[in-house]
Amino acid sequence: MEDERSFSDICGGRLALQRRYYSPSCREFCLRCPRLSLRSLTAVTCTVWLAAYGLFTLCENSMILSAAIFITLLGLLGYLHFVKIDQETLLIIDSLGIQMTSSYASGKESTTFIEMGKVKDIVINEAIYMQKVIYYLCILLKDPVEPHGIAQVVPVFQSAKPRLDCLIEVYRSCQEILAHQKATSTSP
Amino acid sequence: GSAVLFLVHSAPGKMVENSLLPGRAIYDFVLLLSSQSGFILYLVWAFIPESWLNSLGLTYWPQKHWTVALPLHLLITIVIGYVLLFRINMMSTPSLNSICTITDNYAKNQQPKKYQEVAIPALRVISTSEVNQMLFLAAKDLYTKN
Repeated sequence: MEDERSFSDICGGRLALQRRYYSPSCREFCLRCPRLSLRSLTAVTCTVWLAAYGLFTLCENSMILSAAIFITLLGLLGYLHFVKIDQETLLIIDSLGIQMTSSYASGKESTTFIEMGKVKDIVINEAIYMQKVIYYLCILLKDPVEPHGIAQVVPVFQSAKPRLDCLIEVYRSCQEILAHQKATSTSP
Repeated sequence: GSAVLFLVHSAPGKMVENSLLPGRAIYDFVLLLSSQSGFILYLVWAFIPESWLNSLGLTYWPQKHWTVALPLHLLITIVIGYVLLFRINMMSTPSLNSICTITDNYAKNQQPKKYQEVAIPALRVISTSEVNQMLFLAAKDLYTKN
């Protein structure tokens, strides 16, 4: 069963949340960020090339212009491959664990898996980020030494940064699965 | 002097105000005299040529270079101070994946307090999981309207 809704992120950009219910114990949430816009791309390219042309008129060295072209191309490729995340996915399987996938604009995908034995809870936390206070979803990991302690905090949807309404949807679905998992794990 | 007068005008009903004590007025006057004489001394040092000062017999002055350098240093220090303070604030905010945003030593070590029937429950730190359940699971329509 698939479900798609649109939300907005903390800066006001549009996000699309796609929820897939594979079974009562397995769900997937897919957040799609807006693609690299032509406007920002042309703005950055024009700024860099104008600056390079300004330097060229000062120095009369034509290497600056070709260097500017190279820098723009390499910078764009590096940005698409290492920085720009197109889609972030959170897959929860009841008895197995939680998997987070980030797909970059160049096609690269990076995946993190946390097994269910380590997961204490999934909560919505507030923290100061730059000059704002934002809500973000995070996974709390159990402390092997202390039964009620928290060893680590793993934030989810780091680059999409959705707002509270989107986070509440994901939080409720995750809590259903965690409650289901606690019920089945405590029963003999 | 003018600061003292402003305070007196703004609160006429008070019986004994700090600014009406004679001690304050004396401090104020001493500060006024010293700052004005310091400023005149600075102007004398900066503008009157070396030869005239030497002819008067006052020979042990710092170099005139410092009349321009000192205010400039002060100005740059203030500007860098703004930038530095902002940067130090940014760096000391805990990052999103730090444990400081969830709990700290006080919350971990707090003793469970006895529940009394009639009294207000004692103040204590509630864990994030409980707060989340109360806010987002129990109250269904509170946050979804925006």
